[in-house]
Amino acid sequence: MRSVHFAVAALVSLAASASGAEVTGTIDPPLSPRNASYVIDAKLDPSSHTISGSEVIIWRNITTKPATELQFHLYWNAWRDDRSTWLRETKLGSRRAIPAVRADERGHIDVTALGVRGSARADLTTVMRFVAPDDGNADDRTVLAARLPQPVAPGNSITIELSWTAQVPRTFARTGVIDDYFFIAQWFPKLGVLQDAGWNCHQFHNGTEFFSDYGSYDVRLTVPTGWILGATGVERERHDNDDRTTTYRYHQDDVHDFVWTTSPTYVERRARFEHATLPAVDMRLLIQPEHVRQADRHFEATRAALKYYGEWFGAYPYGHITIVDPAYQSGAGGMEYPTLFTAGTRLFAPEHVQDPEDVAVHEAGHQFWYGMVGNNEFEDAWMDEGLNTFAEARVLGTWGTPYYFSQRYFGGFIPYVFTDIVRTREDDWNRFAGYRRAPNSDRQSTPSFRYYPSTGGVITYNKTALWLNTMERWLGWPTVQRIMSTHFSRWKFKHPKPQDFIDVANEVSGRNLNGYFDQVYRSSDSFDYGIQDLRSDKDGAKYRTLAVVRRYGEAIFPIDVRVTFADGTNAVEHWDGVERWRLYTYEKAQPAISAEADPGHVLLLDVNRTNNSRTLKPLDASGPRAATKWSLKWMVWLQDLLVTWSVLV
Amino acid sequence: MTALNAAQAWREGVRRVARAPLIVIGVWLLTALVSLPLALSIRADLMSHLGSSLAAESAAQGVNLEWMQEFADQATGLGTTFRPTIIGFAAVLDNLSGFMDTVSRPVVVVSAAAAYVVLWLFLAGGIIDRYARDRATRAHGFFSASGGYFFRFVRLAVVMGVVYALLFGLLHPWMFDRVYTRLIRNVNVERTAFMIRASLYLVFGLLLAAANVIFDYAKVRAVVEDRRSALGAVVAAIHFVRRHAGAAIGLYALNVAAFALVLAIYAVLAPRAGGSGWMMWVGFAIGQLYVLLRLCVKLTFWASETSLFQSRLAHAGYVATPAPAWPDSPTAEALRPAP
Repeated sequence: MRSVHFAVAALVSLAASASGAEVTGTIDPPLSPRNASYVIDAKLDPSSHTISGSEVIIWRNITTKPATELQFHLYWNAWRDDRSTWLRETKLGSRRAIPAVRADERGHIDVTALGVRGSARADLTTVMRFVAPDDGNADDRTVLAARLPQPVAPGNSITIELSWTAQVPRTFARTGVIDDYFFIAQWFPKLGVLQDAGWNCHQFHNGTEFFSDYGSYDVRLTVPTGWILGATGVERERHDNDDRTTTYRYHQDDVHDFVWTTSPTYVERRARFEHATLPAVDMRLLIQPEHVRQADRHFEATRAALKYYGEWFGAYPYGHITIVDPAYQSGAGGMEYPTLFTAGTRLFAPEHVQDPEDVAVHEAGHQFWYGMVGNNEFEDAWMDEGLNTFAEARVLGTWGTPYYFSQRYFGGFIPYVFTDIVRTREDDWNRFAGYRRAPNSDRQSTPSFRYYPSTGGVITYNKTALWLNTMERWLGWPTVQRIMSTHFSRWKFKHPKPQDFIDVANEVSGRNLNGYFDQVYRSSDSFDYGIQDLRSDKDGAKYRTLAVVRRYGEAIFPIDVRVTFADGTNAVEHWDGVERWRLYTYEKAQPAISAEADPGHVLLLDVNRTNNSRTLKPLDASGPRAATKWSLKWMVWLQDLLVTWSVLV
Repeated sequence: MTALNAAQAWREGVRRVARAPLIVIGVWLLTALVSLPLALSIRADLMSHLGSSLAAESAAQGVNLEWMQEFADQATGLGTTFRPTIIGFAAVLDNLSGFMDTVSRPVVVVSAAAAYVVLWLFLAGGIIDRYARDRATRAHGFFSASGGYFFRFVRLAVVMGVVYALLFGLLHPWMFDRVYTRLIRNVNVERTAFMIRASLYLVFGLLLAAANVIFDYAKVRAVVEDRRSALGAVVAAIHFVRRHAGAAIGLYALNVAAFALVLAIYAVLAPRAGGSGWMMWVGFAIGQLYVLLRLCVKLTFWASETSLFQSRLAHAGYVATPAPAWPDSPTAEALRPAP
């Protein structure tokens, strides 16, 4: 234990959190149960890439059952060797995804002492053991368990002390070091979440993230003097030590994780978010020197997220946020932590192209879906990633700034912007293309950590955004907004489960949406409606029109069918979409010119949209025209390729 | 004839290319004819996928990215190349970047490119012979020269193939997969990584250019001096480039500058997605004009190198082999009065 005095002082400070409008990291009254509060003291040795630390945890049993053991996440052991579950799953997804690292760059964490203070004082170091609750992998060391000498009764608290040493890995899963750039996440022994059914403390998996209880964090970090440090919370103290190091103290209440980063090269910028009805937020940006010109873009994107999420779902209560622009190749970009997130941009990042705005809005948005609404990311990752992707897409679609499709060339360094391809919320920001490639890969209701590794993200992010946007187009934004804001206010600083969201949706919409959730959440079926046939034949003085709409996919959703006639009139039918097909017939003075399934494009999950319509003369001339146009463009591309390769003659 | 400097040789090359417009038109036709069957195949695939869908209307009017991605996702082989990167100047970046990064292409495209290269190999003798003589050789003269030099150029192609295989098959992966990866392993500043990659492109490009310039002069010497040995032509080309390094390198640089100028012009004028009416044909015409200019640049490489060589070691219009004469028919021979 490096600093018992400090720990005691900090614990007293935690217990006596003061109120005040000044942004100090202290929040009173508490927003969360604060049943897992940490006081941590850690020192970074940048030359050996090691961290030595100690922590004191005040943990309260908020379940209805006594706790007989403790379980801790030791995430960094996921990279200790190739036998960990994380690396096995990575190999399953793609062998190429495993970073090439030397043995000394792998990273690991070793708990050197574990004990309980107070009346139940006990040294648990000798009874520590590794468990693998998810797959029984005896070689996985990402969950540490220790039996308590005395059970902790419901409502009672214990004080736990740990010491540990850790080897900072070369970046894995957005944490680690490259040269003098350190991004330190999931870095300390961290309690799982005790539920009535027992400890929810999953092994570290390749495709999923984290889950922990809310508390207060008071953390002292010692890094080389002169290095810039950013962390969860607010800096409370700073003092230089004799050994050319500086110790910073950060504090934050009502969060469920603590992250930090340090580097000598960060450039610091500050700005402020202000709004007529939402609390102000101090924004601190730690940006790479080569990206300084993009500082305002980071701030604007963060402002947009705070504004729209705040207006739509609820206020951001912390009063400050730290935006980190991670170093090149650090692999730390695009990740959320309480009151701090990493964005990500490039040296050449033209305006009106995806980054850094897209990633900044997304990760800032996670302060709401993940930070404040603390679902279990191991089991129900869609509840934060999916809801947040939906909301991010909505922000980007509402913001009013057009974003264009772009492509990178020459090793990914040189961007080219296609100014005639505007990215749309429905397709691009909802990530439809990715979903279409693997719509059936998993049922969403499967625990997220059991998704197939390489396609799990599609079900978590893309599918959820698409089914929420479909709900919005079906039920209307006011209804969906109320669903999400109700869910937010009801479950902030708690741990909601999927049924909680579904219950809120049913309650707020006033409809039974279970059938919809059966299709999109409990099933892996895909949606595909189309017009199978359209005919319009002269029959005496009239035209007899037949339109056949078909359900090609297995999933069911009610759709409209619109048949348009030559005089501009149209007939709109509503089909429940249950049967395999439905015939519509009309006798009119005018022939039909087109038929469309789901003309309003309500069902954004339809994986084959080209078959959603059929045309008759004169509209059917568009096919050959489009094919000619695009084949001519393709031909110029091929000619250019041929001439380029002819340099070899 | 006085020895030309690089700029004079380049101007002379441009003049010779301009004096033989049928060659430019011929290689443009060749490029179009190799591309056309594949373009028709793509068109059939696009037609089949679009059917009579309303998606066709938006695809005809502009870019329907969602349809485009749906098509590419369902496609195999040739169809997988149908992506936004075919639009306008992106096509040029895609191909240059693909060339420098050795991006793999579908077998059909590689086969077409291989056939195109072989056809160029066949025509190379006739083209250089025409530029070397700097006077009309007629179709029969052109093709008999093409045929006459073809097999020695095939032998030269074996040497070229070995060198290019070493460059692209061994050196490129070593430079970009191993050296580059190692050099940037601990780099956490993108600007540094970019400079390293750009430097490697430069080194690889210079090596490629060195091989290219030697093989160009090998072809020129094979034609102008009627050299039959491929290796001998290569050795002679190396000697020439060494002895006239300033002029040879300067000339190559001028040709590269002309290539860059054509790219810069196309970057400004390249048609975007556009509609499907007459603008579609205007866009296609601009694309063809660009291809034509690229081919002119390629031909100017050969023409200017030929004129440089002739001005240094021979004289303008000198070719060791007599102008090929197409034999008349036996009847014509019989009717010809005795000398």
